[in-house]
Amino acid sequence: MDQKTLDTKEIKTAPTPEPPSQAATKLVVSSSPHFLNNESVPKIMHNVVTALLPATAASVYFFGWRALLLIIVCVASCLLTEYAFQKKRNKPIKIYDGSAIITGMLLAMTLPAGFPIFGAVLGSVFAIGVGKQLFGGLGFNIFNPALLGRAFLMATYPVLTTTWVWPRTMEKAVDAVTAATPLAMAKFEGKLDVPLMDMILGNTAGSLGETSAIAIILGGLYLRYKGYINWKLPLGYLGTIAAFSAIFWLSDPTKYPSPLFHLFAGGAMLGAWFMVTDMVTSPVTSLGQWIFVIVAGILAVVIRLFGGLPEGVMYSILFMNAFVPLLNKHTRPKVFGEARAQKV
Amino acid sequence: MANNLGYEFKKGLWQELPPFRLVLGLCPTLAVTNSAVNGLAMGMATIFVLFTSNILISLVRRTISSQVRIPAYVVIIATLVTVADLFLAAVFPAISKSLGPYIPLIVVNCIILGRAEAFAQKNSILPTAADTLGIGIGFILSLTLMGTIREILGFGSIFGVKLLGSWFEPWIVMILPAGAFLVFGGLVALVNWISSRKTEKAAEAAMSR
Amino acid sequence: MNNIVKMFLNLVVIGALSGVILSGVFGVADPMIKANKEKELKEAIFVVLPGAKDFKVLEKTVGQEKLIVYKGIDENGAPVGVAFKADGGGFQGNIGLMVGLDTSYLKLKAVEVLEQLETPGLGDRIREEAFKDQFKGLEVKPKVEYIKYRKPEKPNQIQAITGATISSEAVVKNINRAVEKVVANFPAEEITRAEAAPEKVAPKESGNGK
Repeated sequence: MDQKTLDTKEIKTAPTPEPPSQAATKLVVSSSPHFLNNESVPKIMHNVVTALLPATAASVYFFGWRALLLIIVCVASCLLTEYAFQKKRNKPIKIYDGSAIITGMLLAMTLPAGFPIFGAVLGSVFAIGVGKQLFGGLGFNIFNPALLGRAFLMATYPVLTTTWVWPRTMEKAVDAVTAATPLAMAKFEGKLDVPLMDMILGNTAGSLGETSAIAIILGGLYLRYKGYINWKLPLGYLGTIAAFSAIFWLSDPTKYPSPLFHLFAGGAMLGAWFMVTDMVTSPVTSLGQWIFVIVAGILAVVIRLFGGLPEGVMYSILFMNAFVPLLNKHTRPKVFGEARAQKV
Repeated sequence: MANNLGYEFKKGLWQELPPFRLVLGLCPTLAVTNSAVNGLAMGMATIFVLFTSNILISLVRRTISSQVRIPAYVVIIATLVTVADLFLAAVFPAISKSLGPYIPLIVVNCIILGRAEAFAQKNSILPTAADTLGIGIGFILSLTLMGTIREILGFGSIFGVKLLGSWFEPWIVMILPAGAFLVFGGLVALVNWISSRKTEKAAEAAMSR
Repeated sequence: MNNIVKMFLNLVVIGALSGVILSGVFGVADPMIKANKEKELKEAIFVVLPGAKDFKVLEKTVGQEKLIVYKGIDENGAPVGVAFKADGGGFQGNIGLMVGLDTSYLKLKAVEVLEQLETPGLGDRIREEAFKDQFKGLEVKPKVEYIKYRKPEKPNQIQAITGATISSEAVVKNINRAVEKVVANFPAEEITRAEAAPEKVAPKESGNGK
């Protein structure tokens, strides 16, 4: 892999149209200027869809056909909303570029398996309509549309979005009707003894695609292999979560969950591989990316440990999304001689 | 004259509709409109202060020297707001409780001082009355509309009467602050869309003539 | 010079008129506002102490804090229980409760929510009867507890509202804290002592309810 971090030279050469060959796809990094180049969009997007397939398969395995139904409903509503907006605004119809499919899949991944269909439709319409099209469509949205849709559902249906079901694979072992996620158990009941292996495989209660860490990592590695994501973003985010939570864990292991727990519980994996790395809503520059992932990682742990909610990944990423334009502006590498000129 | 009064009254209902066209008085528009009753009550309290204070200001506009007019207006407005606040607390304790600090905050509602500066201090009582009634009713309607939309979506009811059956899962977000911004943004867009359609139609009519 | 005098007079006259108007309105409104608060307090006390016809206000100063309990009595003057306020932080703001405790300090009679700012539709379900009813006859020894997802197993347990654990927990904590304070500072004999039967006309003690 010959992917490099962006430096001044690359930024300056980037707008030159590259031939759509293998080499071109390898060079695409998380940068909005590349992204507006329409030729590569469908290709990237379809690869992201491929990368989400293991997590989709895992969700169907653990939560049954109901999971697949939710994913299909979300994808279909996202596509329809996108189509309706583009039609109404007299823009070229570009629903085949796959970006709406990804938003739909990611949104479904963050929902509990028992989530009602009308809620899934509402969240999808909000994600694409308000989260993306109102900002001007793909490439102009400030926030990750799927996460925005999820945040809207969280505020709209606070009970339904936190009513979990046990995976089919462990149904008989548990007597309670309503399930609790490992994070909720840790936060509200002080139970830290969920087997780590269950969380890695996905054999716990939680959102469709968030539970199986291994399936998400598989997809993430595929994207990395294809060269679509910068290693800095997911690993920086996960590393910060691990390091920051380790401080608390070392101070009192009986009270605070371990760093491994934090990595494999909740949406940390899904957020790190598929949402932090969103090309439109993450910073372009190297320094900006470091700031983005480190602050987001700290925020996620702070919310999990001290906030009112058991899970903080969603808000940590959305919060940092808002700073991306600012980060891009202030961490931009200086053009040669620019600094001196500004001093006058 | 009567024509003029009609114009002064009507402009507050659409052309200068406070929250959506002038984007003024947003604090109460966003903060208390989580139900239709609250929106209406807030609008009533505001129109009371707006109407009486501007009439008073119009009355004394020649006796007050311009250097001290702002403190004088503020004292008049603050007095009336306190009267409204005490009245609500004494007679409608439930509404007073749910509006909380937003009744005293009418003092800083820019519609009131804005109308005083822009209109009442330059005009006699009758046009001032028409102006403030128009703006005030526009404000009441806007707040009640906001409250109605948010109450229907957030509680499934309107003025406390259940409207939507149990099949409807209320959108909690609509009664939270975020819902206020969503509904407000939607209504501003709607108002802009209608008025741009109007201008287009007027332009077309002018062309065909 | 003339202008300065005019400005001065402007403000003095407006200020004086404003003062006159406000004191007039206040004179009328203040008793009504006080009566509203009084009524609210009384209703809450009678809700949490079923069977009470009147109440006596008992006050004690413990350190910096002023403790007030309302001792409910029935029509013969026999004590029914004590009511007191329990305040504390919830998910978004203060949760103010009125708690009714029986005279033996063993069981709660009822709990009423006076004020709360919890999330609508979620945390504010602490106001629902289904939640409040759980506190009727609940044992407070050793202390009130909550459990999740399951029906309560012990006589001192309530079931937390699903999705609103923090609000439920805040209610339980408030009750425990307030009960502990009252039990520690008001000896049982003060509470079990019979009072004079309330007068038929108007509750005598309600005047100094503040």
